[in-house]
Amino acid sequence: MSQAIIEVNQLTKQFKAKTAVHKADFKIAKGEIFGLIGQNGAGKSTLLKMIGGLMYPSSGEIHLFNHAVSDNHAYFERMGLLIEDAGLLPHYSAYENLDLIAISYGLKGRKKHINELLKLVGLDESNKTKVKNYSMGMKQRLGIAVALMGSPDVLILDEPINGLDPQGISEVRKLILQLNKTGMTIIISSHILEELSKVATKYAILHEGEVIEINSKEELQLKCEERIEVEVDEARMAIPILEEQLNIKNYKVISDGTVYVYDTHIENHQITKVLVENGISVHSILKHKQSLEQYFLKRTGSEVDSHD
Amino acid sequence: MINLFKMDLHRFKNNRIMYLLLFIYAAFQIFGIFMMSQYPVEQGGIPVSAMNASEFIQSVLSQTPSWVLMYVAVFSVYFYMSEYNTGFYKNYISMKNARMYSVLSKILILGLFVLLMLTTMVIADLIGRSIFFGNTAIGDVGFFIKLLVGQFLLHWAFSIVVLCIAMITKNLIASLVIGLVLGLNVPGMIVGAVESLISDLNVSSYLLVNTITSIKDLNNMGDVIHVAGVAVIFILLFSFIAVRYKLKEDLK
Repeated sequence: MSQAIIEVNQLTKQFKAKTAVHKADFKIAKGEIFGLIGQNGAGKSTLLKMIGGLMYPSSGEIHLFNHAVSDNHAYFERMGLLIEDAGLLPHYSAYENLDLIAISYGLKGRKKHINELLKLVGLDESNKTKVKNYSMGMKQRLGIAVALMGSPDVLILDEPINGLDPQGISEVRKLILQLNKTGMTIIISSHILEELSKVATKYAILHEGEVIEINSKEELQLKCEERIEVEVDEARMAIPILEEQLNIKNYKVISDGTVYVYDTHIENHQITKVLVENGISVHSILKHKQSLEQYFLKRTGSEVDSHD
Repeated sequence: MINLFKMDLHRFKNNRIMYLLLFIYAAFQIFGIFMMSQYPVEQGGIPVSAMNASEFIQSVLSQTPSWVLMYVAVFSVYFYMSEYNTGFYKNYISMKNARMYSVLSKILILGLFVLLMLTTMVIADLIGRSIFFGNTAIGDVGFFIKLLVGQFLLHWAFSIVVLCIAMITKNLIASLVIGLVLGLNVPGMIVGAVESLISDLNVSSYLLVNTITSIKDLNNMGDVIHVAGVAVIFILLFSFIAVRYKLKEDLK
């Protein structure tokens, strides 16, 4: 695994009586797309605001680029933020908004840089329209352009697809993947796991302020894959029968008595029938199938087990 | 700091509300002088039409509600809240020392607005007095400059107080109302009334708005020190509070 450029240790944020984030721990490596998933009010935005330097933790530490930010806030400079709404002046055009940010960064050759960013987010045609007349999708894309203005190493996107139509979602997704290809580390939060799964390489599930699970993309896929879990006396006896009589090619022997079958065209009763006919006792047979969304809901205690 | 100031200055220059406020103020000021010419009044035994520029400005500023303070309050709240409510600050606040510099930059911009406001007042007064009183006398130039510098510092201090209120309340309406109540000198009147009931103290004369609205003899060193002292203390104190608050603030 490559070196972690963001490390969060026991991070907590308390608002009077409410704990918004409770002892969050995780690491993000360079080049990752880190998906933060949680229901509304789970504490995603608060956590991102602390990582982005907008809010101060009540306790715990944030390390950015191997330095504790409590010692030096300058490391927040290397983060580009799009948290909650894009911070845009509605009576200014996209170009003017970006120009103001460019002035605050003291950038030389502002015009060229701004035009490049507008082109990158696909707003070069409407750069003179006032932001108040923009659609939600255009505002989100402009928000990403603003976040990219300081050429950050890390891009933090909080619910970037909120309120977008399918086309807008697709455009933002493409943009995120495009930016990640340049080596940029991206933290993206959403309450729509299905959409997040199309971009993220690592996931943290946040529930009631606590990080309850962190998975790599592969781990999550494994947990959500469609398969039939067969428990028998001896798996080695069952395999040739399944291969020969049901033409099952895609399977995995998990233990002496457990086989996972991935050929999803086969039905449970077919497997049970051939095994029993060949004198093999079947202890249990389960179809494991759950969408990412169902998995998330199960982990956050919002839905019952989805095994058939 | 310079970059953030340049950004705020850019926003300031392109701010139509600012030009509108200055224009409306100038129009009302000239109209006010017209009304004075229709219904002649005296102050301190001198007819308003016979006053020189210094006396006229002191006379105008001493009448509560002070319209200059009202405009300063409105602009101070507007300039800060228009950025705060849109969340525009999120785009630059992660830069090194940006929290402190953004407050200092806004304080400088407010100083610029106060300067423009007082310049507008002086020009509108000159135009109005010239047209309706046929009087453009400035009087003692040294006194006039001391008056303008003193009033500039006092009004700037007032704008910083209002900025602080806007930052802390985070609410446009609440900060406007508080700013206008301060401009009406309600706290000054309350403190003055309580003071007169319980002791011979004269603390209320050192309050900011009381100092702005009271007529001073700026040829008297005591009055100059009073004005400069109050202005500098309020500027430093409330700038410090504003910066400290921003440094500790959890941003939305």
